[in-house]
Amino acid sequence: MEKSIIKSERTGDSCIHVKHKSGLDIYICEMPGFSSVEALFGTKYGSVNTMFKMRDDEDYTVVPEGIAHFLEHKLFENEDCDVFELYAKTGASGNAFTSFDKTCYLFNCSKNYQESLRILLDFVQKPYFTQATVDKEQGIIGQEIKMTNDNPDWRLFFNLLRGMYHNHPVKIDIAGTVESIAQIDAELLYKCYYTFYNLNNMVLSIAGNINAEEVLAICDECLKPCEDKGLETVFPDEPDSIVTPEIYENQPVGATLFSIGYKCASCSGMERLKKTMAASIAASMLTDASTDMYKKLLDEEIINSSFASEVFYGDGYFTVIFSGESDKPEIVRKSLSNEIGRIIADGLNEKDFARIKKSTYGALIRELNNVEAVANLLINAHMDGVSPYDTINVLSELTSGDVYEFIKNELCEDKTVLSVIKGDG
Amino acid sequence: MKYNRTELAENIGFSSIIDEKFKTAMLSVRFITKLDKDSAAANSLGIGVLSSSNGKYKTLAEINEKLSSLYGASLGTASKKRGDVQILSLAASWVNKRFTIDGEDVDGEMLQIVRDCIFAPNAENGEFAADSFKITKKDLLDRIDAEINNKRGYALSRAAEVAFEGEPAELSCYGDRKSAESVTSSEAFAAYQKFLETAQVEIYYISPEENPAAAEMFKESFAAVKRDSKAVSFRNISPLHSEVAEGSDEFDVRQCKMVMTFKSDSDDAFAIKLLSAIFGETPVSKLFVNVREKLSLCYYCACRVISSKGALMVDSGVERENIEKAKEEILRQLDEIRNGNISDEELESAILALENGLEQIGDTASSYESWYFERFCEGNVVTPSERLNDYKNVTKARIVQAANSLKLDSIYLMLDKEEAE
Repeated sequence: MEKSIIKSERTGDSCIHVKHKSGLDIYICEMPGFSSVEALFGTKYGSVNTMFKMRDDEDYTVVPEGIAHFLEHKLFENEDCDVFELYAKTGASGNAFTSFDKTCYLFNCSKNYQESLRILLDFVQKPYFTQATVDKEQGIIGQEIKMTNDNPDWRLFFNLLRGMYHNHPVKIDIAGTVESIAQIDAELLYKCYYTFYNLNNMVLSIAGNINAEEVLAICDECLKPCEDKGLETVFPDEPDSIVTPEIYENQPVGATLFSIGYKCASCSGMERLKKTMAASIAASMLTDASTDMYKKLLDEEIINSSFASEVFYGDGYFTVIFSGESDKPEIVRKSLSNEIGRIIADGLNEKDFARIKKSTYGALIRELNNVEAVANLLINAHMDGVSPYDTINVLSELTSGDVYEFIKNELCEDKTVLSVIKGDG
Repeated sequence: MKYNRTELAENIGFSSIIDEKFKTAMLSVRFITKLDKDSAAANSLGIGVLSSSNGKYKTLAEINEKLSSLYGASLGTASKKRGDVQILSLAASWVNKRFTIDGEDVDGEMLQIVRDCIFAPNAENGEFAADSFKITKKDLLDRIDAEINNKRGYALSRAAEVAFEGEPAELSCYGDRKSAESVTSSEAFAAYQKFLETAQVEIYYISPEENPAAAEMFKESFAAVKRDSKAVSFRNISPLHSEVAEGSDEFDVRQCKMVMTFKSDSDDAFAIKLLSAIFGETPVSKLFVNVREKLSLCYYCACRVISSKGALMVDSGVERENIEKAKEEILRQLDEIRNGNISDEELESAILALENGLEQIGDTASSYESWYFERFCEGNVVTPSERLNDYKNVTKARIVQAANSLKLDSIYLMLDKEEAE
């Protein structure tokens, strides 16, 4: 078991990282003064992992869309009872989520964390699927798919991704479709489980009112050693170009919603972290209320205060997205493009850069103030292939030149997609 | 943690909550006034405009520039409904100076900004500056228009209109679109002046370290306001409809929504809360286990207590063909509780779930703020552990009694359009 302490010189925060003998990476952050505990047990397995093989397999296996999410639902049921019933005895609030590139099982509690941790480690390592329970789940997930289809923000986002990506599975809905999940059976679930729920492909993060030694003792007791079988996941080739520059859909909405996405080159590890920080500052500078573009759009009532940006990335995809409400989203798109052109021609305003950098630093400090945010930060950093406090260090070293280069090289007009959800009437 | 509430003047409370584990500070000012159809929109605009600029930073750009230079300090306003009461709040939060790079006095700067926003707004000759008002008004109108975007939230709002018809609680805290559209800058300013002078005020300062300047600042600033405040009534029991009231809408949606509102005249708030937890607040509750898991009738089916109105709402996402079955099953599960079919395990897990929530109060500044504000509204400031004891003392007999006090009052349905034809 390798154990190390990871420290942020800048904030004084620290956590423990352990490479457990079972193969699992464990991150522990004791947070004195806090009452709650947040734990996440996650696997690097999300909706984009539809094609994979083990070292000894000859061919790649291709699985139906939505299976990672389906598996997450099914793992909550073990042979004797439902996992919620077990948590009900400790008082913990248990949950799980599947995203594009990970599935996490979590609990949040204020007492009995030891017993809740045992429950978490135990049920995730103990799959139990039968055809009857799989059939029943198809109905429940079918209802979930219908419900998310009524969510205009969800539709807006996936339409945008469909406009950007030709082949990459990031464009598929995390839950799949009613048709794709109909292809799932118990055997396929076991295959995916034993492929991705190998502890060498998993992480545990736990933060809050805990004792690190106690956590490690419970891990020793509950983790079953796994052989690293050399998992490989692949993605179809993805061209640099976009699929279509505009996608419109009608839904019962009161205000027209828009998203403008810039498709950027993907990368990984530290390179991606640096790019993410540059992208995040670039996007914040573009949506900053002090820019002439923002003032003009606001003054002409083309945008409202919902105008915001985000950087969205994962294995094989990287985008910067600007979203909000507007009856004239095409004008917002044109204005963004003009503003990017202006920055490329005139350069970045150094004072604004320094201010936005300071503001971003403040946001990172706030994150360290919250048990849930810290547990998420630990697991996300590991899954992104970086160390938990690297973000704050990368930010401190970021220059305006890095941000300028990002804007110039990555925010290209011909890789922009506009997604719009308009009202029925 | 050190909690201390003082009265700065009549109907102006200042609570200081000092907890050294935090890296940030938070200041929130809540104006509490009766929700009224004639003032709801003007009040929302009157509070909303206060964070878009102030007497010193005269545009949204200037104030945002200042906030981002203060390590991305946040400043925002909200208009919310709590039963028959409208809560207008302005809140700010910022990084404590221990975590600033050059040791800047963010605390001092933010106190000034908040003071200027509330007491020296960007206004002249009895109206707000035109630009700031225009931005705020567009935001409010867009927010009203966008309410339908969140189908579950919209269904709950419509259910409140049906259940609380004729009472202030039927209204949206933003007012309706027509009245919001017609509010002028001078009317919004008059509304602002009125709530500054007449509303009950509760202020919360949550920080890792004491700063007596915060209370002083509010004391001085309010001393210059001609106050004539009125205390509001926080709990106004809603009368039961003589027949179950119904309301419905049709939209182009794939999943229908059903909200059932029950009303109770019981004063046993702790028993009602435990009843709600057992009935439908947790993943081992009767509604989740039976309506969703066993019978697959709804994707979600949960309940919530609206103590300020003596009501309990069960909301669900349901397919059209299952609406009747889901309704029957929800009522059947309530009957189970009425008949005393509550297992020891159900009671224990409900208490554990409540305990879990109570023990986490204080892990975020906002959880402190909402805890102490809710207790203020109830008129009894207790600690989370004292409240836990109240729950632990509830017997099954009291829960059965609480369940028997619930009467079905109204049902709201959001239906899918195509099949309705």
